[in-house]
Amino acid sequence: MRQAGLDLGSVNTKLVVLNNGERIYSRVIPSRFDSVQAGITLLKTYVEEHGEKPDKLVVTGYGRVNFPEGRVITEITCQSRGCHAYFPDNAHILDLGGQDAKVIKKNAEGRVVQFIMNDKCAAGTGRFLDVILKGLDLTTEELDLAAEAKPMPINSMCTVFAESEVITLLAKGIPKPEVIAGLFKSTAKRLANFVESVGHPDDLIFTGGGAHYGLLVHFLEQELKAKIIIPSEPELTAALGAASLA
Amino acid sequence: MDNRELWTALGMDLEKHDDFLAPIPEVYTNLFLNRPNRPKAMGYFDMVVGDVHGIRVHELYAMKEAGAKVFSTFCVYVPEEIVVATGSASIGLCAGAQYTVSSGEKVLPRNLCPLIKSTMGFKLDRICPYFQISDWVIGETTCDGKKKAWEILNEHIPTYVMELPQKKEAKDARLWEEEVREFASFIERETKVDLTAENLAQGIQTINNKRQALQRLANLRKHNPAPIQGLDVLLINQLSFFDDPVRFTAQVNALCDELDERVKAEIGVAPADAPRILVTGTPQPLPAWKLHALIEQAGAVVVGEETCTGERYYKDVTESAENVSDMLANIAKRPLKVNCACFTPNQGRMEDITRMAETLKADAVIDFTLQFCQPYGVESYFVGKEMEKKKIPFLRLESDFSEEDQGQLLTRIEALIEMIRA
Ligand code: SF4
Ligand code: SF4
Repeated sequence: MRQAGLDLGSVNTKLVVLNNGERIYSRVIPSRFDSVQAGITLLKTYVEEHGEKPDKLVVTGYGRVNFPEGRVITEITCQSRGCHAYFPDNAHILDLGGQDAKVIKKNAEGRVVQFIMNDKCAAGTGRFLDVILKGLDLTTEELDLAAEAKPMPINSMCTVFAESEVITLLAKGIPKPEVIAGLFKSTAKRLANFVESVGHPDDLIFTGGGAHYGLLVHFLEQELKAKIIIPSEPELTAALGAASLA
Repeated sequence: MDNRELWTALGMDLEKHDDFLAPIPEVYTNLFLNRPNRPKAMGYFDMVVGDVHGIRVHELYAMKEAGAKVFSTFCVYVPEEIVVATGSASIGLCAGAQYTVSSGEKVLPRNLCPLIKSTMGFKLDRICPYFQISDWVIGETTCDGKKKAWEILNEHIPTYVMELPQKKEAKDARLWEEEVREFASFIERETKVDLTAENLAQGIQTINNKRQALQRLANLRKHNPAPIQGLDVLLINQLSFFDDPVRFTAQVNALCDELDERVKAEIGVAPADAPRILVTGTPQPLPAWKLHALIEQAGAVVVGEETCTGERYYKDVTESAENVSDMLANIAKRPLKVNCACFTPNQGRMEDITRMAETLKADAVIDFTLQFCQPYGVESYFVGKEMEKKKIPFLRLESDFSEEDQGQLLTRIEALIEMIRA
């Protein structure tokens, strides 16, 4: 049986297809403000390549309610299931997506027992980092240097204020790598508090696009004094969970 | 006099008022009228909302013509028994509209509870006939935001403030009783009616009857399948603050009779396996329906509200007494059993929540706080801890009266439901 999971995120849309439990397909495309359309495109591409529709479909993510087909399950349940497939023994998940950040606690069966999500604003989400880093026009070299740099404290967590704080620091002549390191460190601090409000983890599964920021992972590990585990494709776990629930 | 003449007489801003009311019929139709399986007796409450700025305002206007006064309140501690005893009207005002928030922000900080900003905006915009018809606002010192906002409101309408203590020790009870007695003299002075053993006993009885009818309704919600939707009960709780108390009581009892039949016949508004949710936290004054609507849209049913637009308003009644002085003492006693987050410590609230969750057989608790509400926002920590201890699934939500976060709220609510069902 072919089970498909479609995760309609605000930034990226992802499709995972399982065949008798084995992953046979996965793909990520940008949502471009219309995750529903992106989802339709992904499914169509899959059908063209494989000649038939998946037998079952679960849709999740922020665009899920408007998707024309499939069973709807929230990204919280899907994320928990997806992570459970990789790490059945770990209880805490931090998911850092485009629009929101969430912390999920799961039990030995992979079921959600507690979760929290950030409120209205973008502070401490993937979007927060993206907006500021984009504005900085970073080179890979600068990013590498940031790993060694002494982090310059950044106090604002509101995207708008943080951006102007960063600009002020750079204008003052603080080297870019120090500012970037500071940005990651302050975000890590905030995320660590967020995680701790659901209880202290010994080790933490980190998913979502945010898990690709190596420096963030490093600081998060420091702040939490916990081991951070990242699935091989951290942005695909919710889609994977959706597929396994289909 | 037709409605528009009345509104003009009350000095309202008709243009803004039209603008404010315009979307309500559609919203109401979608949220309430179009729902299948509603009890017939909801018809009365639908009618009240259908002409929300008409019928009752005409009544109040007539009362005033006959020499009575109108006092408006914002808190369940304010003793309406005393007002009703003198033949005047006590009405709880709306404070749950996003429309008026921005006007409120003209004089209040943006980082303030939306309830207070909404209230202030209603007055500044002159779009609420109840506000316009009121002679006095009765404020209280429940939270810092309200306490200071009364000073500003007083520039627009005479505002009388009762000092509510912050603890429940003997000396606090004495202070509050003193406040109630002073309030009674103030009402006597304003209405030019003396409180007597007869009229005060009558006032107590009228309001007790109302609270008991609401208790009866609340009690029916423990049945499974749920005989009535939480959104309908929320509406009734909201209307309880300003409808005529005697007529309202009769209508709530008529509804309860119908629900009794439903319970006997095991007829429900939701399937028996629909998750049952207890809502706790800050009040949801008219027309704040978002939270209940989302919970029930997600397939759950709200079975209780540990809020001021719920249990806190009616859970206790005033004991009777022989003379005016003892009656006033008893009137002062009732509110001190209410566990508002303004008090410290407030362990009683944790007991209320646990007890309600048990009797209503709730599957989960949603603790809802209005943005920037310090007392409830902070106390949410203890609610969470208590629920964890009792192993009751728990979700904390924060929002205001705006519409744009519905998607995010729904995701969390749906996830909670999936969690319960798993
Ligand atoms: S929450 Fe507290 S202050 Fe607000 S109405 Fe209720 S009792 Fe009064
Ligand atoms: S909701 Fe909170 S902040 Fe708002 S009036 Fe009530 S106690 Fe005060």
